[in-house]
Amino acid sequence: MKIAPTTQQSDLILLDRAKQRPALFAPLSPRVVTSLTDLRNSVSLATKDSLWVSYSSDLTDGLVSSVSESPHVLGCGLFVHALDMKAIPPLNSAFRRIAFATDGGFISADDLAEVLQAEHRANLFIGGVVNNSTRTITFWRGDLKSLTVPFSSFEKSGDGTKPNFGQFSIIDCGQTVQLGTYEAAVDAILYEHDPRYRREISKQRLTEDRTFGAALRRLRKQRGLRREDFEPDLSAKSIARIEQGKIKRVRSTTLAALAKRLNVPAQEIASF
Amino acid sequence: MAFSLRIALVYSRARWKVKIRDKETREPPHATIIHGTRAWRIDLRTGEFMDSRPDPSEVPTELVNFIRQDDTWQRLRREWDRMYPNNPVTESEDEG
Repeated sequence: MKIAPTTQQSDLILLDRAKQRPALFAPLSPRVVTSLTDLRNSVSLATKDSLWVSYSSDLTDGLVSSVSESPHVLGCGLFVHALDMKAIPPLNSAFRRIAFATDGGFISADDLAEVLQAEHRANLFIGGVVNNSTRTITFWRGDLKSLTVPFSSFEKSGDGTKPNFGQFSIIDCGQTVQLGTYEAAVDAILYEHDPRYRREISKQRLTEDRTFGAALRRLRKQRGLRREDFEPDLSAKSIARIEQGKIKRVRSTTLAALAKRLNVPAQEIASF
Repeated sequence: MAFSLRIALVYSRARWKVKIRDKETREPPHATIIHGTRAWRIDLRTGEFMDSRPDPSEVPTELVNFIRQDDTWQRLRREWDRMYPNNPVTESEDEG
C-alpha cells in the first residue's frame, strides 16, 4: 500500500555512509551527506524546516564542529546512532529540536522512513530512552517532540504479564511499545498522557457520547477501576448514576473526589 | 502477553497484523488491525469498525471476513477477556 506524501515535505538531509540505507528514504528525496565537504555545504543550505537524520557518529562530530560557525537555525536533528552527551548542548543550540538516544532505541530505518512520510507522524513513536533512576520512558514522536511517561503507566496485563523495561523497543511502524513480551498501544499512551491528542481524538468521535458520564466511564475503565473503588468517598451507585447521565449536575465535592481517585485535574475528566 | 492473531501468509507477508496489546484504550473492548503506520479498531462487542478514518474499506475484505468468522471472533473475545478481566467484552453494568 502506498503512503500519501505529506503536504509539507520537509527538506531531509541524511548523514549516512551506508550504501543501501539511503534508498529506503528515497520517497523523501533526501540530500545524502557522506563527507565533511558535503556536510559544510549542507549546513550553509539548511533552513529552519530542514530535517537532519544522522546514522554516522563521525559525520555528527563534523556537524558539531560546523554548527558553531553557522549563524542560523538548522531545523530539527535526529541522531540515530549512540550520541556522546557532550555533543548535546551544541546540537541543542544549533537546532530547533533534537532527538537522540545514548544507546540506540530507535525504530528500524525502513520503519523510520515510513513514519516520516506519514501525515500523522506526530502520533507515532520513533524511539525512546528508558531512565531507570527516574522510572520513566521518554519517547520521541515522529515530529521529534518528546513525551515522558512514568513506568507506572504500564500496569500489568490481566494475565499477569509485566512490562520488562530492560527490553525496550518500538515496533509496528511506531504504533506499539514493546517491553519484553508486554506490548502497549501508542494511541493508548498518547490518550492518557497528551491532552492535545485526547482532544483531537475526541473531535473525531463525533458520533460518540460526549457527556460527562461517558467521559467518566471511559477514564474509569482506562484506569482499570471498578465503581466500588471510589468508596468510601463515593458509592458505586452514585458513580453509576453519574455515568448513566441520571445526575445532571455534579457537585464540586464529588468532582474533587473523582479527580483524586482518577489522579487527574478535575477539569480534565470531561476531556476523556 | 500481547495477542497476535495468526492470519493467512498472504496478509502477514504484506505486513498486516491483528493484535490485542497489553495496554490498550480499554473502552470499548476491541482488536486492532495494523498495516504500516495505520491502524483500524474493531469493536469486539458489535463487530463494527470503530473509526471512520482510516477508511475501513482499505482493509482487505477477506481479512475482515476472517476476523469476523465465528471461531476467530470468539478467540479474539476470549483473548480480550483474558487480558482485561475487569472490562470483559460481555460486561453489563446496570447496577444502580
